[in-house]
Amino acid sequence: METQEKLNTQTVEEVKNGAAMAAVLAAAIGSFALGLIVLFKALDLLSIPAIYEPSGGVSGRTTLAVIIWLIVWGILHFRWKDRQISYQNTLMLSLILIGGSIVFTFPPLWGLF
Amino acid sequence: METNLFTDRSLWTMMHGIVLSGAALMALTAAIFSLRMLYAGKASNTVTKIQSRYMVSLIVFMATMLWLTVIVGTYITFPPYRAVPPEGLTDLSMYPKAMLQANAGTTWLHSFAMESKEHVPWIATILATAVAFISVRYRSLMISDDKLNKLATWLLGICLVLVSYAALLGVFVNKVAPLD
Repeated sequence: METQEKLNTQTVEEVKNGAAMAAVLAAAIGSFALGLIVLFKALDLLSIPAIYEPSGGVSGRTTLAVIIWLIVWGILHFRWKDRQISYQNTLMLSLILIGGSIVFTFPPLWGLF
Repeated sequence: METNLFTDRSLWTMMHGIVLSGAALMALTAAIFSLRMLYAGKASNTVTKIQSRYMVSLIVFMATMLWLTVIVGTYITFPPYRAVPPEGLTDLSMYPKAMLQANAGTTWLHSFAMESKEHVPWIATILATAVAFISVRYRSLMISDDKLNKLATWLLGICLVLVSYAALLGVFVNKVAPLD
Protein backbone atom coordinates (compact mmCIF):
# COMPACT_ATOMS: atom_id res chain seq x y z
CA MET A 1 0.00 0.00 0.00
CA GLU A 2 1.41 3.35 -1.06
CA THR A 3 0.83 5.16 2.20
CA GLN A 4 2.98 2.64 4.05
CA GLU A 5 5.62 2.50 1.39
CA LYS A 6 9.17 3.33 2.39
CA LEU A 7 10.27 5.63 -0.38
CA ASN A 8 13.08 7.84 0.56
CA THR A 9 16.31 6.44 1.85
CA GLN A 10 18.56 8.91 0.04
CA THR A 11 20.02 11.96 1.72
CA VAL A 12 20.65 15.31 0.11
CA GLU A 13 24.40 14.54 0.23
CA GLU A 14 23.85 11.66 -2.19
CA VAL A 15 21.54 13.64 -4.44
CA LYS A 16 23.72 16.82 -4.53
CA ASN A 17 22.33 19.92 -2.92
CA GLY A 18 23.80 22.42 -5.41
CA ALA A 19 20.50 23.24 -7.13
CA ALA A 20 18.82 23.98 -3.80
CA MET A 21 21.69 26.13 -2.57
CA ALA A 22 21.77 28.00 -5.90
CA ALA A 23 18.04 28.74 -5.64
CA VAL A 24 18.36 30.01 -2.08
CA LEU A 25 21.45 32.15 -2.63
CA ALA A 26 20.07 33.58 -5.88
CA ALA A 27 16.82 34.51 -4.11
CA ALA A 28 18.82 36.20 -1.36
CA ILE A 29 20.93 38.09 -3.91
CA GLY A 30 17.79 39.11 -5.83
CA SER A 31 16.20 40.36 -2.61
CA PHE A 32 19.37 42.24 -1.69
CA ALA A 33 19.45 43.78 -5.16
CA LEU A 34 15.88 45.01 -4.68
CA GLY A 35 16.86 46.46 -1.30
CA LEU A 36 19.85 48.27 -2.80
CA ILE A 37 17.80 49.61 -5.71
CA VAL A 38 15.16 50.92 -3.31
CA LEU A 39 17.80 52.47 -1.04
CA PHE A 40 19.64 54.14 -3.92
CA LYS A 41 16.36 55.51 -5.23
CA ALA A 42 15.47 56.86 -1.79
CA LEU A 43 18.86 58.58 -1.64
CA ASP A 44 18.40 59.96 -5.18
CA LEU A 45 21.44 58.04 -6.37
CA LEU A 46 19.58 55.94 -8.91
CA SER A 47 16.50 56.41 -11.02
CA ILE A 48 14.93 53.41 -12.67
CA PRO A 49 12.30 54.31 -15.28
CA ALA A 50 8.80 52.92 -14.88
CA ILE A 51 7.94 50.07 -17.20
CA TYR A 52 4.23 50.68 -16.56
CA GLU A 53 3.61 54.38 -16.12
CA PRO A 54 0.38 54.16 -14.04
CA SER A 55 2.28 52.15 -11.39
CA GLY A 56 5.26 54.50 -11.43
CA GLY A 57 8.82 53.67 -10.44
CA VAL A 58 7.96 50.58 -8.41
CA SER A 59 7.25 48.70 -11.65
CA GLY A 60 10.77 49.41 -12.90
CA ARG A 61 12.51 48.74 -9.59
CA THR A 62 10.85 45.38 -8.98
CA THR A 63 11.25 44.27 -12.59
CA LEU A 64 14.97 45.06 -12.52
CA ALA A 65 15.38 43.12 -9.26
CA VAL A 66 13.51 40.13 -10.73
CA ILE A 67 15.75 40.19 -13.82
CA ILE A 68 18.90 40.30 -11.65
CA TRP A 69 17.55 37.45 -9.51
CA LEU A 70 16.76 35.24 -12.53
CA ILE A 71 20.14 35.87 -14.17
CA VAL A 72 22.03 35.12 -10.94
CA TRP A 73 19.89 32.02 -10.40
CA GLY A 74 20.60 30.76 -13.90
CA ILE A 75 24.34 31.23 -13.49
CA LEU A 76 24.49 29.65 -10.02
CA HIS A 77 22.25 26.78 -11.03
CA PHE A 78 24.37 26.00 -14.06
CA ARG A 79 27.57 26.02 -11.98
CA TRP A 80 26.30 24.27 -8.83
CA LYS A 81 23.62 21.81 -9.91
CA ASP A 82 25.91 18.77 -9.83
CA ARG A 83 27.93 19.83 -6.81
CA GLN A 84 27.70 19.55 -3.06
CA ILE A 85 27.68 23.09 -1.61
CA SER A 86 28.20 24.06 2.02
CA TYR A 87 24.77 24.30 3.59
CA GLN A 88 25.97 26.32 6.58
CA ASN A 89 27.85 28.95 4.58
CA THR A 90 25.06 29.34 2.03
CA LEU A 91 22.39 29.71 4.69
CA MET A 92 24.41 32.24 6.71
CA LEU A 93 25.25 34.33 3.64
CA SER A 94 21.65 34.16 2.44
CA LEU A 95 20.27 35.24 5.81
CA ILE A 96 22.67 38.20 5.89
CA LEU A 97 21.62 39.26 2.39
CA ILE A 98 17.92 38.83 3.17
CA GLY A 99 18.38 40.81 6.40
CA GLY A 100 20.09 43.56 4.40
CA SER A 101 17.27 43.65 1.89
CA ILE A 102 14.69 44.04 4.66
CA VAL A 103 16.70 46.82 6.32
CA PHE A 104 17.15 48.67 3.02
CA THR A 105 13.41 48.61 2.28
CA PHE A 106 12.52 49.93 5.76
CA PRO A 107 11.58 53.60 5.10
CA PRO A 108 12.51 55.03 8.55
CA LEU A 109 16.11 53.94 7.94
CA TRP A 110 16.47 55.80 4.65
CA GLY A 111 17.13 59.01 6.54
CA LEU A 112 20.12 57.46 8.30
CA PHE A 113 22.15 56.96 5.16
CA MET B 1 -33.47 51.40 -7.66
CA GLU B 2 -30.29 49.58 -8.58
CA THR B 3 -27.31 50.26 -6.35
CA ASN B 4 -23.73 49.51 -7.25
CA LEU B 5 -22.44 47.95 -4.03
CA PHE B 6 -18.84 47.46 -5.13
CA THR B 7 -16.75 49.30 -7.67
CA ASP B 8 -14.14 47.54 -9.80
CA ARG B 9 -11.44 49.24 -7.70
CA SER B 10 -12.80 47.91 -4.44
CA LEU B 11 -13.32 44.42 -5.89
CA TRP B 12 -9.69 44.31 -7.07
CA THR B 13 -8.55 45.54 -3.67
CA MET B 14 -10.46 42.71 -2.01
CA MET B 15 -9.05 40.25 -4.52
CA HIS B 16 -5.53 41.48 -3.76
CA GLY B 17 -5.78 41.83 0.02
CA ILE B 18 -8.17 39.09 1.04
CA VAL B 19 -8.42 36.40 -1.63
CA LEU B 20 -4.85 36.20 -2.97
CA SER B 21 -2.87 37.48 0.01
CA GLY B 22 -5.15 35.60 2.42
CA ALA B 23 -4.69 32.38 0.50
CA ALA B 24 -0.92 32.91 0.47
CA LEU B 25 -0.84 33.50 4.23
CA MET B 26 -2.91 30.41 4.94
CA ALA B 27 -0.82 28.29 2.59
CA LEU B 28 2.40 29.63 4.13
CA THR B 29 1.21 28.73 7.61
CA ALA B 30 0.06 25.30 6.48
CA ALA B 31 3.35 24.65 4.65
CA ILE B 32 5.50 25.57 7.67
CA PHE B 33 3.34 23.46 9.97
CA SER B 34 3.40 20.50 7.58
CA LEU B 35 7.15 20.71 7.00
CA ARG B 36 7.84 20.47 10.72
CA MET B 37 5.06 18.01 11.47
CA LEU B 38 6.09 15.53 8.80
CA TYR B 39 9.76 15.76 9.70
CA ALA B 40 10.81 13.20 12.27
CA GLY B 41 14.54 12.75 11.74
CA LYS B 42 15.60 9.32 10.55
CA ALA B 43 12.05 8.08 10.92
CA SER B 44 11.10 10.44 8.10
CA ASN B 45 12.31 7.81 5.66
CA THR B 46 8.73 6.64 5.72
CA VAL B 47 7.57 9.82 4.02
CA THR B 48 5.20 8.71 1.32
CA LYS B 49 4.62 9.79 -2.23
CA ILE B 50 1.21 11.11 -1.26
CA GLN B 51 2.58 13.20 1.59
CA SER B 52 5.32 14.73 -0.49
CA ARG B 53 2.95 15.34 -3.40
CA TYR B 54 0.58 17.28 -1.13
CA MET B 55 3.50 19.19 0.32
CA VAL B 56 4.84 20.16 -3.10
CA SER B 57 1.35 21.20 -4.27
CA LEU B 58 0.85 23.33 -1.18
CA ILE B 59 4.17 25.13 -1.56
CA VAL B 60 3.72 25.72 -5.30
CA PHE B 61 0.19 27.00 -4.64
CA MET B 62 1.54 29.36 -1.97
CA ALA B 63 4.21 30.77 -4.30
CA THR B 64 1.64 31.18 -7.09
CA MET B 65 -0.70 33.10 -4.77
CA LEU B 66 2.18 35.37 -3.76
CA TRP B 67 3.05 36.09 -7.39
CA LEU B 68 -0.58 36.91 -8.18
CA THR B 69 -0.76 39.10 -5.06
CA VAL B 70 2.25 41.23 -5.97
CA ILE B 71 1.31 41.46 -9.66
CA VAL B 72 -2.28 42.50 -8.92
CA GLY B 73 -1.05 44.83 -6.18
CA THR B 74 1.60 46.53 -8.29
CA TYR B 75 -0.19 46.71 -11.62
CA ILE B 76 -3.91 46.85 -10.81
CA THR B 77 -4.60 48.29 -7.36
CA PHE B 78 -1.57 50.58 -6.99
CA PRO B 79 -2.27 52.85 -10.02
CA PRO B 80 -5.64 54.14 -8.73
CA TYR B 81 -4.12 54.50 -5.25
CA ARG B 82 -1.39 56.84 -6.51
CA ALA B 83 -3.50 58.72 -9.09
CA VAL B 84 -2.98 62.47 -8.92
CA PRO B 85 -6.18 64.50 -8.31
CA PRO B 86 -7.07 67.44 -10.56
CA GLU B 87 -5.88 70.84 -9.36
CA GLY B 88 -8.20 72.44 -6.79
CA LEU B 89 -10.19 69.30 -5.97
CA THR B 90 -11.25 69.35 -2.32
CA ASP B 91 -12.88 65.92 -2.05
CA LEU B 92 -9.90 63.55 -2.20
CA SER B 93 -11.81 60.38 -1.32
CA MET B 94 -11.14 58.93 -4.78
CA TYR B 95 -7.41 59.65 -4.48
CA PRO B 96 -6.10 57.68 -1.48
CA LYS B 97 -2.45 58.72 -1.70
CA ALA B 98 -3.31 62.41 -1.96
CA MET B 99 -5.82 62.02 0.86
CA LEU B 100 -3.23 60.45 3.17
CA GLN B 101 -0.64 63.10 2.35
CA ALA B 102 -3.10 65.95 2.89
CA ASN B 103 -3.39 65.21 6.60
CA ALA B 104 -0.36 65.36 8.89
CA GLY B 105 -1.80 62.58 11.05
CA THR B 106 -2.03 60.13 8.16
CA THR B 107 1.10 60.98 6.15
CA TRP B 108 2.97 58.04 7.68
CA LEU B 109 0.45 55.67 6.12
CA HIS B 110 1.97 56.54 2.77
CA SER B 111 5.58 57.38 3.66
CA PHE B 112 5.99 54.30 5.85
CA ALA B 113 3.17 51.81 5.27
CA MET B 114 2.68 52.06 1.53
CA GLU B 115 6.37 52.60 0.78
CA SER B 116 7.07 49.35 2.66
CA LYS B 117 4.21 47.55 0.94
CA GLU B 118 5.57 48.44 -2.47
CA HIS B 119 8.71 46.35 -1.99
CA VAL B 120 8.60 43.93 0.97
CA PRO B 121 6.08 41.49 -0.61
CA TRP B 122 8.37 41.12 -3.62
CA ILE B 123 11.15 39.89 -1.33
CA ALA B 124 8.78 37.31 0.15
CA THR B 125 7.69 36.23 -3.33
CA ILE B 126 11.26 35.72 -4.54
CA LEU B 127 12.11 33.66 -1.44
CA ALA B 128 8.91 31.61 -1.73
CA THR B 129 9.70 30.83 -5.36
CA ALA B 130 13.08 29.44 -4.31
CA VAL B 131 11.38 27.14 -1.81
CA ALA B 132 8.82 26.09 -4.43
CA PHE B 133 11.63 25.19 -6.81
CA ILE B 134 13.39 23.15 -4.10
CA SER B 135 10.16 21.34 -3.27
CA VAL B 136 9.58 20.40 -6.91
CA ARG B 137 13.17 19.29 -7.49
CA TYR B 138 13.83 17.45 -4.23
CA ARG B 139 10.25 16.41 -3.34
CA SER B 140 10.23 14.04 -0.33
CA LEU B 141 13.85 14.91 0.50
CA MET B 142 12.63 18.31 1.66
CA ILE B 143 10.65 16.53 4.33
CA SER B 144 13.11 13.81 5.27
CA ASP B 145 16.43 15.65 5.03
CA ASP B 146 17.18 17.65 8.15
CA LYS B 147 19.10 20.43 6.41
CA LEU B 148 16.69 20.96 3.53
CA ASN B 149 13.75 20.84 5.91
CA LYS B 150 15.26 23.51 8.16
CA LEU B 151 16.27 25.64 5.19
CA ALA B 152 12.74 25.60 3.78
CA THR B 153 11.25 26.26 7.21
CA TRP B 154 13.56 29.27 7.74
CA LEU B 155 12.74 30.79 4.38
CA LEU B 156 9.01 30.21 4.68
CA GLY B 157 9.11 31.63 8.22
CA ILE B 158 10.72 34.81 6.90
CA CYS B 159 8.10 34.93 4.13
CA LEU B 160 5.29 34.55 6.67
CA VAL B 161 6.60 37.45 8.77
CA LEU B 162 7.06 39.70 5.73
CA VAL B 163 3.67 38.91 4.20
CA SER B 164 1.88 39.35 7.56
CA TYR B 165 3.64 42.68 8.05
CA ALA B 166 2.66 43.91 4.57
CA ALA B 167 -0.91 42.66 5.02
CA LEU B 168 -1.26 44.48 8.33
CA LEU B 169 0.00 47.72 6.79
CA GLY B 170 -2.45 47.20 3.94
CA VAL B 171 -5.30 46.93 6.41
CA PHE B 172 -4.23 50.23 8.02
CA VAL B 173 -4.05 52.03 4.68
CA ASN B 174 -7.33 50.62 3.42
CA LYS B 175 -9.09 51.48 6.67
CA VAL B 176 -8.19 55.18 6.39
CA ALA B 177 -8.10 55.62 2.62
CA PRO B 178 -10.03 52.81 0.93
CA LEU B 179 -10.08 52.34 -2.81
CA ASP B 180 -13.84 52.74 -3.24
